[in-house]
Amino acid sequence: MFKINDLIKNLLKSSGPSGGRSFKELFELFREILTLNSAILDQISEANQTLGGDFVFDKHFIETFVEDLSTNVQKLIFALNEMVPVKYDGLIDAYKKIESDIRAILEGRYIGVEKYILFYDEIKKWDEDSVGSKNAFLCQLQPNLNFKIPQGFAITFYAYHQFLAKQGLLAKIKEILNSMDKGECSFQGASKMIQNEILKARIPHDLKHDIKEAVARLKKQLEKSPLLAIRSSAYGEDSEHSFAGLYDTVLGVDEHGILDAYKRVIASTFNANALEYRKKIGFKEDETLMAVGCQELINSQVSGIVYSLNPVDPASDTLIVSSTWGIGGLIVSGRETGDTFFINRKNRKINSVQISWKTYKQKLIGKNKIETVEVDENLRAKPSLTVEQVKNIAECALEIERYFKKPQDIEFAIANGELVILQARPLKIKTGPNLHTKDLASLEQRYNVLIRDQGVTAQEGVGIGEVYVLRQGEDLSNVPAGAILVTKFASPRLAPLIPKISGLITEIGAVTGHLATICREYILPTLFNVSGAISTLKNEGLVTLDATDRRVYRGEVKELFFFNLEQEKIAESYEYRLLRRILRKIEPLNLIDPTDKNFRPENCETFHDITRFVHEKAVETLVNLHFSGINTKDASIKRLKWDIPLDLVIIDVGGGLVGESQIDSTTVTPEHIQSIPMKAMIEGLKCPGAWDSTPVSIDVSSFMSSLTRTFSAEHTDPKALGQNLAVISKHYANLSLRLGYHFTMVDAYVSKNITENYIYFRFFGGVTETERRNRRARMIREVLSHYDFMVDTRGDLVIGRIKRLNQEEMEKRLYLIGILIGFTRQLDVMMTNDVCIFEFKNKICQLMETKNE
Amino acid sequence: MSEKDISILILDDEPIVAKRLKPALEKKGYKVESFTRSTDAMERVRKQKFDIVITDLKMEGISGMEFLEEVKRLWPDTEIIVITGFATMETAKESFKKGVFDFLAKPFKLGEIVEIVRKAVEHKNKQQHS
Repeated sequence: MFKINDLIKNLLKSSGPSGGRSFKELFELFREILTLNSAILDQISEANQTLGGDFVFDKHFIETFVEDLSTNVQKLIFALNEMVPVKYDGLIDAYKKIESDIRAILEGRYIGVEKYILFYDEIKKWDEDSVGSKNAFLCQLQPNLNFKIPQGFAITFYAYHQFLAKQGLLAKIKEILNSMDKGECSFQGASKMIQNEILKARIPHDLKHDIKEAVARLKKQLEKSPLLAIRSSAYGEDSEHSFAGLYDTVLGVDEHGILDAYKRVIASTFNANALEYRKKIGFKEDETLMAVGCQELINSQVSGIVYSLNPVDPASDTLIVSSTWGIGGLIVSGRETGDTFFINRKNRKINSVQISWKTYKQKLIGKNKIETVEVDENLRAKPSLTVEQVKNIAECALEIERYFKKPQDIEFAIANGELVILQARPLKIKTGPNLHTKDLASLEQRYNVLIRDQGVTAQEGVGIGEVYVLRQGEDLSNVPAGAILVTKFASPRLAPLIPKISGLITEIGAVTGHLATICREYILPTLFNVSGAISTLKNEGLVTLDATDRRVYRGEVKELFFFNLEQEKIAESYEYRLLRRILRKIEPLNLIDPTDKNFRPENCETFHDITRFVHEKAVETLVNLHFSGINTKDASIKRLKWDIPLDLVIIDVGGGLVGESQIDSTTVTPEHIQSIPMKAMIEGLKCPGAWDSTPVSIDVSSFMSSLTRTFSAEHTDPKALGQNLAVISKHYANLSLRLGYHFTMVDAYVSKNITENYIYFRFFGGVTETERRNRRARMIREVLSHYDFMVDTRGDLVIGRIKRLNQEEMEKRLYLIGILIGFTRQLDVMMTNDVCIFEFKNKICQLMETKNE
Repeated sequence: MSEKDISILILDDEPIVAKRLKPALEKKGYKVESFTRSTDAMERVRKQKFDIVITDLKMEGISGMEFLEEVKRLWPDTEIIVITGFATMETAKESFKKGVFDFLAKPFKLGEIVEIVRKAVEHKNKQQHS
């Protein structure tokens, strides 16, 4: 499906000077790039939306999406190469790298970052593909929920793969497993052979070096020689299958023992139980990957396990804490029962307690030895946790459950009075007929429905919590953890709350917007566009949000909670994970500022980066042509002379300007413009109040200084002038503006033929901090949506599209864009709070009304 | 007939499809069975009548088209809904000719199929009353 060789051949064929290419030919290529650019951005946005759980799709859909997108990105690179041969060859390498990663993900061969070590504080949510879910899950708790976790690092899947490959073990393992499949040897026999091979193999030199270096760095962080706990973190371990307890954990490892402990955990990947289990669930052996977590051993006085929901009797609505004296391990391995506390999940009251006789505990002896010793006589019958501690642990467990949207099995330790989370993984719950999940069709007879069939689902799921209405401008820290948050707008400023709350309902919001993407990332049940949600819900307490069915019920709907437990989280199913992983190679935009020195082909990490890069360079190429004496005999190039200092170069490719005889050889005025779309935008810019007046107390001097800096007359280098270019014809206009620090692109075609008519508008950049720029982006989105544009916002990037309106209606929208360009130049400076969004929106709508009068 | 009395069979060789559809339809009160192998589904429909059958077209072994023909032959009043990722006008036309109730191209929204099932139930109820 990927035709790299063809692409390269084509590129080589077309390499060579393009001096002979006529302007019209170049312009055709430019048009092609623009079309591809919009098509690619549309495809990406659509694919992200399918992740919300509302869509049913299969692997075939993902393959088709990747193939279509990849082809478009190829064409895009090809078109730029036709415009500017050879110069951006680096794009091919960037494309090949991304494409081969995507192909590896599709084929299940992707093994994450090509690094041996990732430190805990640098591991992100999506690094699951590199370090396994157990490591990745734990590392999210510190930054998102502020829980203490041990310091440490992960040895990646890449390390595992390199270790086995370099020592020729991959082939040997395959051979042994084959004979096991044929029944020539037992699980035990195969396991023993493979484990022996691994334990006697030498760790490759470079891996050994990196592990030693990581230990040295950890030593520096801890200011002492670390004693470690070495834990398994296998691929796919925490998805739909439970591998709990199948792999080894080695406690109390010093810097000299780390390599052996590493091998031991790697070898445990192939213990007999694991081989048998993987075979039973149909997990392919080539999907087997093992990363390892090397954590500072917490020298704890108490350790234990908490289940955030009783797994055998979920209907009892209790959580269970087990704890014992000393360092963990005895309860995990089942050698000690420990004390057991049953806690009511609602009010965190302890329902019942079983205090056991604790004879043994694990203790650190000296600096680096863990031994099982007898517990002091007076502590044997004493509860290992105080009531306060039990409640605190319960609270944390529920918070972690809310974060992962699933009951949790958590290992904890208490050291010097402080709670440390050692591990968190999903807990398998026994579901059954007593959970009443079959009565869902008649819920309405038993519960009050507060909101029915309203809004759009941004992320499906069920969330239960107390309503909290967040007012405009209110401090985010007021929102309690676990709330069902109700707001007017789906503002990106809510992003820090998403990991902490149970559900989100907004009155206004776009499922293609930035916040929706974040809600999907955290699987937060989310409903947008529920009109009147604030007034309906403001006096409610506990509610149940069913974002899948677009309903809100008064009180706790137990049936939905249990129904949700029974379902495999759709976001965890293979196809969704696959698409999510693929999108990570496609969607993020890393190359934003074209003036940045890193704005280079080799820094394109995603297809979005490539798309952005190609577009920017295509515009730049057309602008520069004017100054490099290109063959423009078939196009007329002029500079716009106007009161408004746009400093625009206009290239007319046919019918965009009045006849040559009526104009000067180098400049034109707005009156000379015949291009229908360009004319409409110029009219908008001219609108009183758009450019020349100050709608509120704007800091004009600083604004003008930025303008004069950019457009000072003595500068003749196009780079200093900014890339202000309009390519026009009678029915077409493509406008690329860089005003101060803002980038605007408008591409429009307007004729009597409705089916051909379209406007594509893209806007981003600014000088202020993200929040203000985002507010401005929201203001633009509000305005565009008001005038029927389809709008997509990501951070401060706004993309508006509209198609198939008649000429008059299209002209009206281009007039609006003219106003927006003038009005929003430095508006971010003034976007001090969310209220501004509506003040400015109203102002612009008023300007539009004036036109209509 | 109320939702509780309606039985639905889902056949799609991609497990994700049944995994998504089954709970969504069960939530509405329908009795749902799902299959990923057409031979298993065929065996099942030969033994028992289902009110509604939701099937993919392109599958290993017995194709969806053969399957739905057999269902219609055995139980003419079973309503069939076709879901497919390889939608063309021709396949759509052909399946309608064979008496299919509705046709849905993948990917689709959960709400869309739930709505089609609701209409199919409504249609069945009307036919029974007339």
